[in-house]
Amino acid sequence: MRRAGALIVLLVVWEAAARLGWVSSLLMPPPIRVAAVLLELMGSGRLWPHLVVTMLEAGGGLVLGVGVGVVLGLAAALVPPLAELLQPAMTLLNAVPRVILAPLLVIWLGIGLASKVALSFLLVAVTVFFAVYSGIREVDPRLVDRVRTLGGSGLHLLREVYLPSVTAWLLSSLKVAVGFAFTGAVVGEFVASSRGLGYLLSFAQSTYNAALTIALISLVVAVTFSIFAAFERLERWVFRWRREQPFAEPLHAPSAGGASAGSAAIEEEAVQTSRSAAN
Amino acid sequence: MNALEIRDLAVRFGSRQVLHRVSLDVPAGRFVSLVGPSGCGKTTLLRTIAGLVRPSAGALRLLGRSVEGCSREVGILFQEDALLPWRTARENVALGLRFRGVSPADALREADAWLERVGLGGFGAYFPHALSGGMKKRVALAQVLATRPRLLLMDEPFASLDAIVRSLLEADFLSLVRETGVTVLLVTHDLEEALLLSERVVLMSAGPAARITHLYAVPFPYPRDLIGLRADPTFGHLLQQIWADLQREVARMGWEVPA
Repeated sequence: MRRAGALIVLLVVWEAAARLGWVSSLLMPPPIRVAAVLLELMGSGRLWPHLVVTMLEAGGGLVLGVGVGVVLGLAAALVPPLAELLQPAMTLLNAVPRVILAPLLVIWLGIGLASKVALSFLLVAVTVFFAVYSGIREVDPRLVDRVRTLGGSGLHLLREVYLPSVTAWLLSSLKVAVGFAFTGAVVGEFVASSRGLGYLLSFAQSTYNAALTIALISLVVAVTFSIFAAFERLERWVFRWRREQPFAEPLHAPSAGGASAGSAAIEEEAVQTSRSAAN
Repeated sequence: MNALEIRDLAVRFGSRQVLHRVSLDVPAGRFVSLVGPSGCGKTTLLRTIAGLVRPSAGALRLLGRSVEGCSREVGILFQEDALLPWRTARENVALGLRFRGVSPADALREADAWLERVGLGGFGAYFPHALSGGMKKRVALAQVLATRPRLLLMDEPFASLDAIVRSLLEADFLSLVRETGVTVLLVTHDLEEALLLSERVVLMSAGPAARITHLYAVPFPYPRDLIGLRADPTFGHLLQQIWADLQREVARMGWEVPA
């Protein structure tokens, strides 16, 4: 609520500044004009093919990058010889600004969809790889001991301990990965393309159309932000086990072999207290 | 017959000798406590029996068979709870059964019955995060007992609890363990707890290179009145004797113990 308020204040000040001539309305067109440009773009139907292309590129890069990043991260963490092979390569890829590979990818894969998906994929996969790799290495060893002493096999260990613990790391890295996926797609389009939001943006920039540029930037922000919010909801659902407040230590002695009527009543009360705390 | 036979067991971590020629018998169906000064290697011994630590020498026989690695006949209760935080109480209890190939529905049904037995019927749907420390201990006990182990190892399972919760849990744990007839080896540094719960107390020397130095028979029959027992003169006498031996043991190592 407060954030929405701050946004409205910012827009009002900006609108006023442009109208009162404090800033050049050529460089900083007022929000209402930007909105009009955006609506016109949407209404005329010219926007959608570009938006779809960018979404496909970013989505493709995200899905492939998460898939490959998770598999490689798991493999490296669980099979030490693989880690020796993969880690230096990944560290190198992580250290360089990966967007400089965009021109090379265009030469290799052409100016179509593939080169943008590839760039997006590279940005996402490296991030996810490190999240999964370090997530597995920081698994609570007590849980590993617990599952092993209960008679769990390696496969049980993977399913009951490693994958759930790594989900925490993966979900927080996914939110970063969404931004990376769009960075890859849009930057790829800057370099060479005939469609997409990045193509529209570089067109707007080459014609010094500030209103169109700001409109397109707002659109990309809105799209990434909604995906980000969706992942946050997913994260809250996955981590529902963290939400409840702990019970106070019960001061009754539930007799082993079935609770008596008196202690059952106290349990009932404890359950209700916990529910109201959770709400 | 012995549930557990340990002969000249040694454990070393790198150049550090933690256990040196430990021999111990735990007769089937008995409740034995292992006491000793902090850091003497009690926990290491327990983890070795559970198959989590590999011994450097010696023999370990379980129910007459020598074992390597984790055995499904052994259950262990750790000092800190190690319930899976992303599984509900009943799913946690069902875990060991599922590892043994029991179908999910049957495993959950049996888990509910065990939760009932430890006094947590109706709490099955809660995640560990929502349970108090004592409740988590009860879930952990149900989790281990549900796998029907022949030998139950306990590593100071009550250490982190306050005195009231602790004495409630001790009484409930003892009666459940007696009901199931499982052999128990309890590690504790609390001599009173050892005397209250077990039939035999084993004293371990101070580390490094710890071994077992004394054995005591505890003459109180089950079921026991854990509150009244403390007032028994024999109880006080045994407690004093073990204390004296323990102090001598620690003094021999050149360490100080509070009187």
